[in-house]
Amino acid sequence: MLVRFFFRVICVFLLMSQGTVFSEPPAKRIEITDLAGETQTPLTVADRKASVLFFLLPDCPVSNAYAPEIKRISAEYARQNIASFVIYVDPALDPAGAKKHAADFGYETPLICDTSLQLVEATGVTIAPEVAVMSPQGKRLYRGRIDNLYAGLGKRRPQATQHDLRAALDAILSGKPVAHETTTAIGCFIEKRTPKAIRSK
Amino acid sequence: MSSRRTSSPRIECRRTGCRILKMILAAAIHVAVSRTSLLAEVTFSKEIAPIVFANCTACHRPGEGAPFSLQTYADVKKRGELIGEVIASRQMPPWKAAAGDISFQNERRLSADQIHLFAQWIEAGMPEGDPAHLPPLPQFTAGWSLGEPDLIVTMPASFTVPADGPDIYRNFVVPLGLKTDRWVKAIDFRPRARSVVHHSLFFFESNGLARTLDEEDPQTGFKGGMGAMMRLRGGPPVLAADAAEEEATPSTGPQNGNGLNPLENIGKAKPATFGTLGGWALGARPQPLPEGLAYRLPAGSDLILATHFHPSGKTEEEASTVGIYFANEPITRRFTAIQLPTAFGAFKNIDIPPGKAEYVIEDSFALPVAVQAFGVGAHAHYLGKSMTMTATLPSGETRVLLSIPDWDFAWQEQYRFAEYLSLPQGTVLRSRITYDNSVDNPRNPSDPPVRVRFGEESTNEMGAVTLMVVAANESLMPQLLDGYRNHFRQSLLQTPLFRLFNLKK
Repeated sequence: MLVRFFFRVICVFLLMSQGTVFSEPPAKRIEITDLAGETQTPLTVADRKASVLFFLLPDCPVSNAYAPEIKRISAEYARQNIASFVIYVDPALDPAGAKKHAADFGYETPLICDTSLQLVEATGVTIAPEVAVMSPQGKRLYRGRIDNLYAGLGKRRPQATQHDLRAALDAILSGKPVAHETTTAIGCFIEKRTPKAIRSK
Repeated sequence: MSSRRTSSPRIECRRTGCRILKMILAAAIHVAVSRTSLLAEVTFSKEIAPIVFANCTACHRPGEGAPFSLQTYADVKKRGELIGEVIASRQMPPWKAAAGDISFQNERRLSADQIHLFAQWIEAGMPEGDPAHLPPLPQFTAGWSLGEPDLIVTMPASFTVPADGPDIYRNFVVPLGLKTDRWVKAIDFRPRARSVVHHSLFFFESNGLARTLDEEDPQTGFKGGMGAMMRLRGGPPVLAADAAEEEATPSTGPQNGNGLNPLENIGKAKPATFGTLGGWALGARPQPLPEGLAYRLPAGSDLILATHFHPSGKTEEEASTVGIYFANEPITRRFTAIQLPTAFGAFKNIDIPPGKAEYVIEDSFALPVAVQAFGVGAHAHYLGKSMTMTATLPSGETRVLLSIPDWDFAWQEQYRFAEYLSLPQGTVLRSRITYDNSVDNPRNPSDPPVRVRFGEESTNEMGAVTLMVVAANESLMPQLLDGYRNHFRQSLLQTPLFRLFNLKK
């Protein structure tokens, strides 16, 4: 029993260390191919001031309701040298489904299917829609909601009164610290990679 | 979320024998505990699927309004935690009425035990269990659930729902081309853009006023909200009620009680040219009126669809189709609405200070005759927080007819009792409505909150709970209408404006 346990620990350790042990920024540089076939490093965009990762689920109504604001933020902050990525976090979503969803909702930023949820794990997001803002060096500057449009599930305000993501990006652009480094996002849960069901067996 | 833990008793041991004993004891406890948890394990196939199939799948299936399918183990497991959260907070199934003393038709309400069972299932890791135990998926009627309608109409032009922005309330005019008066038993509604249509209330209008409003507005339909209703009604509810009061004799034909203004169709010698025909909300099944009752639909009427849209993130085109079911039998029985407070609280001097977290209006009415109630509904705007209606019987017993602890403007359900509820003469109906004008009400349209007074626009407030009744005997109907009209008049005389006016006289 113990031997098998240690063997597993070592295996997991080896798997985790692959690709990260020898790369420069510790633990954060992830190369991933987007749906257009381009190689992206969304957590460490070297030539930009920051990058924003929008984590979305295509069949979550809260996630979809944010599409217009996500597009506005992407476009406005692209002009200020901040990169944006739409990250689909449904492991069952195939590239064709992701492309169709992006076309339906008009996303023009690079699209990534985070099938293995490695970007989810690296940024610590748990909800769709939720965002992570990363420095070019891979430091997480903000994680959480886009704004406070939803006070809770089924509790949508007439309009958002706190624009947390915009505030974070504005702070970063003016070289100030982000006021609230994390906020609580409202939306659909991102399905975990290792369901408890497997563990309980 | 806490995970399941098995605790073992602490035994202090110094001797080897004791240690062995401790190990055996611990092992025995472990086996016992895991066996019980195994026995008590909640599985999808056995416990969860019946709950989901009965309460969620009707809407959560392809082609319906809800966002994702909940038809299989994989579907439900994928959304397990989300479901656990929205059922615990009672956001889902969308059924705002709390468990009261009277049961409703088509109740989409989970019991506390069912919610607890679901939480246990999540905690256990959402096991599937033995698929052999899985109940069959419910069979849903394809197309019109009440059968082929007698009349099918579609909006003559589509309406563009923008990708985002605040919710939209819009009225659409659909000509019906009826040459004679008809009686409507039920209306079914099929939105085209299911992801954005939240609910639709149905009205008729036979003077061509709605068409004029439609023509004045460059887009399809005209702006919704109660202001538009006021124009169609020909005045605020106060004036309409006054007009009704002038009528000395109630009409002989059946009338519709509409929950909007119970007096506008009551006791009028000349038939109303505007009135309600019920409504449809996401998740609701069409409910025909009880046997022998129907809404009167005058010849030449246009159908008005007062539709509420939630922008979904992408632009949609809506052109709703409506199926109307007519009554064949001669209609002999009238029904009416007892709305408390009267006129949506117009006489309650609603004046809610900014920041006030609980502002209350109340009204009561003693039934002048015995009635049979068949439905109940409630209305308020965004500051509405809770509403209740109770009935105190002559015996002293009080029964809760409707309680909505967490009012949501978006879910304006008409609740139909499972069977007629007999309320004897002298029963006192009481309604109580609370409002939250603080910043903690996320639906507050003003940030920071502002003073809110009575009015028909959604930034004003109003509120009432409305009971739908027939008199226990049709011959008692005039007495019931007179009694309610008198209550209306008394309420009107209670308003500060009227008291001032009386003093001056």
